[in-house]
Amino acid sequence: MEIFTDTLTGLIDTSGLMGMGWQNAVMILLSFVLFYLAIVKQYEPLLMLPIAFGMLLTNLPLTGLYHPELWDPATNPYFAPQYLDSGLVDGSTPIFMSVFTQETSLDYGRVLHDGGLLDMLYLGVKLQIYPPLIFLGIGAMTDFGPLIANPKSFLLGAAAQGGIFFTFFGACLLNMTGIADFTLKEAASIAIIGGADGPTAIYLTSKLAPQLLGSIAVAAYSYMALVPVIQPPIMRLLTTKNERAVRMGQLREVSKLEKVVFPIAVTVIVSLIVPSAAPLVGILMFGNLMKESGVCDRLVKTATNELMNIITIFLGITVGATAVAENFLSWKTIFIIVLGLVAFCIGTACGVLLGKLMYLISGKKINPLIGSAGVSAVPMAARVSQKEGQKTDPSNFLLMHAMGPNVAGVIGSAVAAGVLLSILG
Amino acid sequence: MNNALVLLSEGASVIDRLQGLGDAKKQLADPDYWSSVGIIALTGILVVFLILAILIFMFWLLGAIFKAVDRSKNAKAEENARQNAEAVAKPAVESVSAVEEDYSNDEELVAVISAAIAAYTEQSFTVKSIRKHNPRTRSAWSTAGISENTRPF
Repeated sequence: MEIFTDTLTGLIDTSGLMGMGWQNAVMILLSFVLFYLAIVKQYEPLLMLPIAFGMLLTNLPLTGLYHPELWDPATNPYFAPQYLDSGLVDGSTPIFMSVFTQETSLDYGRVLHDGGLLDMLYLGVKLQIYPPLIFLGIGAMTDFGPLIANPKSFLLGAAAQGGIFFTFFGACLLNMTGIADFTLKEAASIAIIGGADGPTAIYLTSKLAPQLLGSIAVAAYSYMALVPVIQPPIMRLLTTKNERAVRMGQLREVSKLEKVVFPIAVTVIVSLIVPSAAPLVGILMFGNLMKESGVCDRLVKTATNELMNIITIFLGITVGATAVAENFLSWKTIFIIVLGLVAFCIGTACGVLLGKLMYLISGKKINPLIGSAGVSAVPMAARVSQKEGQKTDPSNFLLMHAMGPNVAGVIGSAVAAGVLLSILG
Repeated sequence: MNNALVLLSEGASVIDRLQGLGDAKKQLADPDYWSSVGIIALTGILVVFLILAILIFMFWLLGAIFKAVDRSKNAKAEENARQNAEAVAKPAVESVSAVEEDYSNDEELVAVISAAIAAYTEQSFTVKSIRKHNPRTRSAWSTAGISENTRPF
């Protein structure tokens, strides 16, 4: 009998209920809200559902799937062993010194030794493997034809990145008021939400401010899902009915040679000027070259289907797992959500305003509505331009014209991330 | 140019120093805080525009070259087509009594359209004129067709 009660109390002591704090409970409830958004509202469900489930798993106590302490250099520091030069020079075995210097990097050995399932998968986020692989699939699915046919679209893709840099400024202003304290790195990570590009936001944040990864990913994907709600009022506010009714001429046909040259040229130019953008832009263009060359059909199929799906699952669930209570339940999360929305709105406004300018300069040949598609949520933002155009004139087709700024926005936000990384990284 | 470079490298070292402070409050207290924030935001947007401007220029240039190449190719192709069409068009022209408008000279086009109508109607007919349909006014059918095709997006 005694053995039985001992076993029972032992079981109760190791059960999750004993380790449950109110913070965990709140986080679990929050994950239920995300389940609702993903399943009922269908907000980017392919990512939101894995994120929500990762959040649920990580906040159930004692599961040991994810260990936040392993990912903090303060609690899991890497001590670099020092070798004496003399020992190495004459080819003999290195002499191990008793002095260790502490690096700011993590001890990945301990992660492999003590980590749980989600810790292992999180390595792909921490070491910046997943976002570029997602970009590989995106590149293999994207047709840059509308952009090549109308290179001016690049400008709209650049203007919409204005939201990122305005928000960076905004986050620093918020700092000044004293209600939040964001370091420069954190401010940059929040601002990149304005790029409206999930993988880019995760890429930059995992390098600059990994502690905010969960909240930034949730904010970025929520707003991407809300593009059809956020953008139209701004677009209507900034344009007149006449501007919205502009019909744009047929795009010229783009030859195969141009489509093949495009990814190679973009990779060379972007990597030469902003090398830190190469992992994103380079791999994006690699995927595109595989598609346009027409000689790698099997690889393209894998990159756009199986590989991308696998990475999406790994990325979603591990990003969700980083949303542990002590990181997520703070005022910072609220500010991130507000600043993310500001970034999105300003990005849209910048795109539309440059669209207006181009409308005036081009002699009313460019519909300013396509400017909002410069935020890179592909193809949602382009679809919004199309829908708004048709509200004014049902026989107007802006979709292909809006795809130009839309895919330019993908390149633009990756470049913006590269710039922030090279300055602050 | 040199001055700008010096300014940039100075800015970079200031930003590095700010980064070294680590804490947000300490960063804010630094006298160079706002100038660095400004530099980061400004360089960011400028570099994005610069790179995309270079790409615009390149693809505009490339587009111009390809257009020129296409044009010379088309000119050659047209000449070939005209020679071929003369041989092919003769039997088809029998049913064409009068052809007006701009396209009357384009024998290949006349032959193709006549053949298409002949195949479709299977009876004798007369082509009186071939005019280009104004692309600005779409029929209800073509509008429906386009929206059908663009719906997946």
